[in-house]
Amino acid sequence: MKLLALHLTNVRKFTGKRASITGIGSGITVVSEANEFGKSTFFDAIHALFFEKYSSSAKPVKSLQPYAGGAVEVAADVQTDQGAFRVEKRFLSRKSAKITRLSDGATVAQDDEAERWISALLGTANDGPAGLLWVRQGLVGLEPDSAKEKTQLKETRRDLLSSVAGEIDAMTGGRRMDRVMRRVADNLSEITTRTGRKAGAWKAASDEVVALETELASVTTQVQTLEKALNDRKQSEASLKRLDNADAKARRDEAFTAAKAAMEEARAHVGAVTGARQKRDLAELKATSAQSELDAILKAIDTLQAAEKQAKTSSAAADDAMLEAHSLKAALEAVQILHKRETEAVSETRKQLDVVRRQIVARKSQEEAAQLKRQITKAETVLGERDAARAITKASGATPDWLRRAEAAQGEVSKLNAVVEAQATTLSMTYDGAARVTRNGAIVPAGQPLALDGETFLDLPGIGRMTIHAQAAGEEGKTRLATGESALKDILSHAGAASLQEARRLATTRVEAETKADLAQAVLDTLAPNGIAALRTAKADADLAATGAHNEELPAIADLEAHLMQAEETEEGTQRRLNGTDAEYASSRETTVKLQAAADTAEHTLERANADAGPEDTRAHRRAERLRIQAQEQGALAKTEADLQAMIAAAPDPDTVAAELKRAEDTVTAARQERVQVGERLAALSSEIRTLAGNGIEEHRDELEGQLEAAGATEARFARQAAALTRLQAALDTERDAARDTYFGPVQEELKPLLSILHRDAVLSFDSESLLPTGLMRDQAEETLEDLSGGTKEQIAILTRLAFARLFARQGRHMPIILDDALVYSDDDRIIKMFTALTRVAQDQQILVFSCRQLAFQDLGGARPTVEIAEV
Amino acid sequence: MKFIHSSDLHLGKPFGRFPEDVRVRLRQARADVLPRLASLARSHAASHVLLAGDTFDQMTPAPSVIRQALNMMRAADHVTWVLMPGNHDHANATELWRQVAQDAPANVALQLTPEPFALNAQATLLPAPPAERHPGRDLTDWYNSAATAETLRIGLAHGSVTDFDSSEEGASSVIAPDRARRAGLHYLGLGDWHGQLQIGPVTWYSGAPEADGFKHAQTPSALLVEIAGKTAPARVTSLPTGTINWQRVTLDLAGDDNRNTAHEAVLPPLPERALTLFDLIVTGRAGPLDRVALEQEIAKVTPDFLWHRADLGELGLVHDTADLDAIDQQGALRAAAEALAQEAADNSLSPVARATAQSALSHLFSFALEA
Repeated sequence: MKLLALHLTNVRKFTGKRASITGIGSGITVVSEANEFGKSTFFDAIHALFFEKYSSSAKPVKSLQPYAGGAVEVAADVQTDQGAFRVEKRFLSRKSAKITRLSDGATVAQDDEAERWISALLGTANDGPAGLLWVRQGLVGLEPDSAKEKTQLKETRRDLLSSVAGEIDAMTGGRRMDRVMRRVADNLSEITTRTGRKAGAWKAASDEVVALETELASVTTQVQTLEKALNDRKQSEASLKRLDNADAKARRDEAFTAAKAAMEEARAHVGAVTGARQKRDLAELKATSAQSELDAILKAIDTLQAAEKQAKTSSAAADDAMLEAHSLKAALEAVQILHKRETEAVSETRKQLDVVRRQIVARKSQEEAAQLKRQITKAETVLGERDAARAITKASGATPDWLRRAEAAQGEVSKLNAVVEAQATTLSMTYDGAARVTRNGAIVPAGQPLALDGETFLDLPGIGRMTIHAQAAGEEGKTRLATGESALKDILSHAGAASLQEARRLATTRVEAETKADLAQAVLDTLAPNGIAALRTAKADADLAATGAHNEELPAIADLEAHLMQAEETEEGTQRRLNGTDAEYASSRETTVKLQAAADTAEHTLERANADAGPEDTRAHRRAERLRIQAQEQGALAKTEADLQAMIAAAPDPDTVAAELKRAEDTVTAARQERVQVGERLAALSSEIRTLAGNGIEEHRDELEGQLEAAGATEARFARQAAALTRLQAALDTERDAARDTYFGPVQEELKPLLSILHRDAVLSFDSESLLPTGLMRDQAEETLEDLSGGTKEQIAILTRLAFARLFARQGRHMPIILDDALVYSDDDRIIKMFTALTRVAQDQQILVFSCRQLAFQDLGGARPTVEIAEV
Repeated sequence: MKFIHSSDLHLGKPFGRFPEDVRVRLRQARADVLPRLASLARSHAASHVLLAGDTFDQMTPAPSVIRQALNMMRAADHVTWVLMPGNHDHANATELWRQVAQDAPANVALQLTPEPFALNAQATLLPAPPAERHPGRDLTDWYNSAATAETLRIGLAHGSVTDFDSSEEGASSVIAPDRARRAGLHYLGLGDWHGQLQIGPVTWYSGAPEADGFKHAQTPSALLVEIAGKTAPARVTSLPTGTINWQRVTLDLAGDDNRNTAHEAVLPPLPERALTLFDLIVTGRAGPLDRVALEQEIAKVTPDFLWHRADLGELGLVHDTADLDAIDQQGALRAAAEALAQEAADNSLSPVARATAQSALSHLFSFALEA
């Protein structure tokens, strides 16, 4: 079915009017009008026409009636496979329904028959397609609000999907599957948590295994301790038996006794060795003493001989040194005399040179004093000139300032005079001929104004005298002039001037005096920068320095200086020779002293050696006697040393004897201690063994091993059960999902290209109960429909309807899609994409769009019929 | 000479893998063996009871185990109890034997060393007590040269016989099988093997008087040995002593077996079940419906037994279209069942993965049938 035209009569705001939309296209048709125009009225009216009985007074019908009341009439022209028809209904008053064939105007059906005709046109479930395909204003979801509508639409969808995909229960297992899955989940929840971890009996078994393992480990350790204790006790008992062996004990005691005897013997031998060592030490002392006495006498004889020789040598050397010293002293005295003479010559030359130099300086000072005298005279003259000029300046009041004030006062007087003159009556003459006018006998010159003040008499040759009575000048001007003139006079009188010219002369004179004083001061500063007194002091100094100056001829100073240099060189050479001789003499004297001292020492040594050697007559006898005693003592020492070494060689090793004794003693002690320790150890082990064995620890271990085996088997059984149930759950989930995918395959197939226009690679998941989308999978994340934005929700709602419409079309049930302001939440970008989706579907699907967004929906294209309204 | 030969009483064995009530019952059964042996000795006029090792289960049993055992022996004073160590309670278990020696009554003779012991004027016992758990040598070697005068020579040893792996714990076999002949023994009583077994004309394992596992099928017994004289052959009689029945049964199901009949056939008679430990291992293959039914039957008879365990891990699952139809004829349930069945039969997967898939399929059958 396709809509061709719609006609509404007396519906809501179209009270008493007929509103028509004609020219609806087979693809997209857009009715774009402003709000409150009545677009929703058309939507509701079409819905009532096709889905409300003409006899109905239900709310959807009543809502169409205008406030003024009256019958509501709705008609639609439709194109079907059988041709074009008009379907029309009249509601609420004189109710009727009618189907008319447009080609010939023939009535096809009326009233109830007309309703059946409409039902046949819409299909078996005439409530479904509209709800499924038509979108009311502001509807963003897929489910209507009322439960009745929900049920109706669900049945419609089920019929539709079943007709294209098969029975859902048959595919998904239906309630039987639900029960099985519930049983699996129940069984699984008894032994696992939601995350698959152990729970319930499985966890209890697992915990028991852990507890038993822990206890078994502890008990096994105790068993090992017991076994070790048993072994230790066995070894200890063997040790005790060995320690208590009588033969072994006798052997240890015998060895200890023998070691002690050996030690006593060793100690006695050590005493004998000590005696022999003392004898040897005594003999050694005697031999040493004899040797010392022999050495002493031999040494004294040798010393005496050496002292005699040394005394003789020293004495000779001292005498030689004395002679050399005397010789050097004579040479020194000769050089000293020569040097004194040369020193005096140098001194004399220096004195002469000094006298000449002082004369030169005196003569120079004399010249300087003369020069200073001239300079003082000139300075005193300039000083007088300066002081005279300064006196003139000081006496004159014609300062530049005074002159400026005088000139200003003169200017003021001139100005006031001009004013007075300007205020006076003037007369000027122009002569044509030779006759001239005179005044007080003087010709009044032509062209010059003549001031007239008071009564003026002019003589006009050939005419007579003219008396002019002129108005006197202003008194104020005159007064001011008199004041000005008085002020000028006062200023001039200050410097004694009678006029301005004289004032200027006086001022010039004063300036010249000032200049002269300044010039004189400058000259004075040059001649005596520090004052004339300083010049006089300098002259006095120069006069003093010039004292003694004379005009006699002086020897050449260069000759004197050369002579002095030569004398000094000679004196220096003699000085050096004097120094060398003096040093030689000092050295000789020192050597002489030293040699004399050595000679004295040698003499002293000789005296002492004589004393040490004793009397010379007994000296040989005493030497022979001491040689004999020394030989005798050496023999005695050799014998005692031989005796000592023989005893040492025969002595037992004391360390070895002590070690033997210690070892024997330790053996006895250790055996005794070990006997005690083993006894104590045996007692402790027996106590430990009795404690552990008394607890039946091995039996307990074996029992735990058995329990652990059983618990392990139980846990393994639960693990297998959990694995099996988990596997079964996964298999059921997989197959149910696969079944759902198959069931919703057709609608998904229709949706996929439409959805991809908005969301690339996005997939909608469907709920097998409601048969509606429940979630959107995009970017590998699934969002529930409720969580999506209003815009996305309304877009999905429309796209889903487009997909369902295509399924209807596939069944041969072509139904128009009607959208009433359906895209209110979508942004501009998404609206454009939705237009693309609508255009794609509209290639073989009629779509009627009502919209108030005139501008936005311009881009949708399609037919644009106008709404015609006419009075009924 | 007439005596009772027994061994491997393993007094004090804990049986920890069983529930507490079963453990208590099994331990009591072992303790009751001693008066039972005494009773047999009395009834058959035997003068001695020879215990060939492993009287005790551990080297250091609880004092109560030792004391109660000795008290029972003391009470049976009509007979002489000859105790020789085994590998569990070897001679170096010094604390045990010290305690026994300290508390033993006069009618108990300990044989801790390999020395001839006169049982009476007519017979000499040649004990071969192990001094450690695995001696690694034939302790009966000394029999050949042992002097026993003109008395009967009776050997008593514990361990495994060469050429026959009769060790309970897999120890090396060292006792010469012809020791009795070579040493001129009139009887050689052996211990260690818990099943009763004759090794030679006069060489016997008595077996444990009370079973402690599912390994041996025979009824636990002791041996009555009668020797009329040096030239007369020993007459050996087996005397039942066991009270607890240990049964491990394999129920092998073929796909077309009558499952119900087969299961009933392996069950012991009802009166015996209360004293039976029944370990059922089900192998072969069964359909899902049969498996579910078998599990239900097993659950039903389990309370009859002192202890019952059923292992269906080796039972393969066979199914056909009709079985899968029982789950669902089409749809996701059917697809899941087919996927699991395919996985269970996929040899490229690990055995664990296949077993998991099979178990999952079994659960699916069970749940689907409930639904």
